[in-house]
Amino acid sequence: MQQILTLQAKEGMVLAKDVLDGEGRVLCGKGTELTAALIGRFERMEIVKITVEGHPVAEPGEKSLKEQLRDVEARFANVTKIPPLMYIKKKIMKKMIDSRGQ
Amino acid sequence: MEDEKRSEFRAALRQTKNLPTLPGIIAKLSKMADDPDTTTEQMGRVISKDHILAAKLLKLVNSAFYGFPQRISSLSSAIILLGFNVVKSLIISASIFEVMEDQDVELWEHSLGCAVVCSVIAKRLGLEEPEEVSTAGLIHDIGKVAIKMELPDEYELICRLMRERGLSMRQAEMEVLGLDHAEAGGWLTKSWNLPRKLVEPIACHHDPRKAKEDQLNSAIIHFSDILIRGLGYGHAGDDMVPKLSQRAWKLLDFSPEDIDEILDEVDEKLWDVKGFSLEVQSQAAPPQGGGGEG
Repeated sequence: MQQILTLQAKEGMVLAKDVLDGEGRVLCGKGTELTAALIGRFERMEIVKITVEGHPVAEPGEKSLKEQLRDVEARFANVTKIPPLMYIKKKIMKKMIDSRGQ
Repeated sequence: MEDEKRSEFRAALRQTKNLPTLPGIIAKLSKMADDPDTTTEQMGRVISKDHILAAKLLKLVNSAFYGFPQRISSLSSAIILLGFNVVKSLIISASIFEVMEDQDVELWEHSLGCAVVCSVIAKRLGLEEPEEVSTAGLIHDIGKVAIKMELPDEYELICRLMRERGLSMRQAEMEVLGLDHAEAGGWLTKSWNLPRKLVEPIACHHDPRKAKEDQLNSAIIHFSDILIRGLGYGHAGDDMVPKLSQRAWKLLDFSPEDIDEILDEVDEKLWDVKGFSLEVQSQAAPPQGGGGEG
């Protein structure tokens, strides 16, 4: 799943999480396929972001998973002897891999 | 020689030709807060005089970034509900963040991300005023902005050293200026008369042992800076994850489960903030239709 801005929403995307209004009430349940009317309604209600299935929106300049993982390795290169930081590195990498899963 | 450089830089900072000074309103409000006869209405009135600041403050209070549970629509209710110290932190954030965002969007993103981690950790540790810690996180790198704006030639040199010799920004600062951005940020915020609880964690965020009063706050900023760099959110001059202070790690005393939960929460909140950042960028746009009361 991917969290996107309502501005980035397109018809045909499928909600992976409920969309809530400001009071926490469910406006639209997960599994719903988006339509132009629905997107317009979210915008009017100032819903800033929604979570959709898959990874439909490529962020500008978004890197491949492989590149992302390599970047993490590089960022942690000076602290390989500090166990808590190595644990954090491992977790960050795992989260990256998981988030690309459908 | 080194001392000479330091005092030169200190003088440049004191004049702050380019950096805006913090609004006098902070000092005024602090004075009012010390006076037991001051009412919240009086404070609300002082803040309201600065329309832009008041609007920004309310926007911030109601943003996903702070995430207070109820919608707050007036300044006096903000002061009553959140307490004066929180409001003061918010005013500081509201005033500084424009300066930072204008100067360097990527550094601003790093700072915002760091503040998000700070707030997650502060709440987790049950600190009394998590907003104060977030504010310190938000402005922890203000020294970098100061160096860039006040000492452009030295800043060039710092960047060159980073490029050519692969130094971290902090190492390059030490070599060129004999001091780092943490120390510079400490001076600057002190000269703005910000509360010591903000100044110290900014000055000590690379070495929390140096903190005399509040090592825990400094440790939180230190660790949050590390975590957000690890996540690669924003850009703080260089990309490297700095070494973790043992002292800080001991103070925080996190288990692997704590780390897992912190990472999950941070992930979620960073998304909220992405929306918030765009929201603030579009601030110049006319406000959308009336505020429908639920």
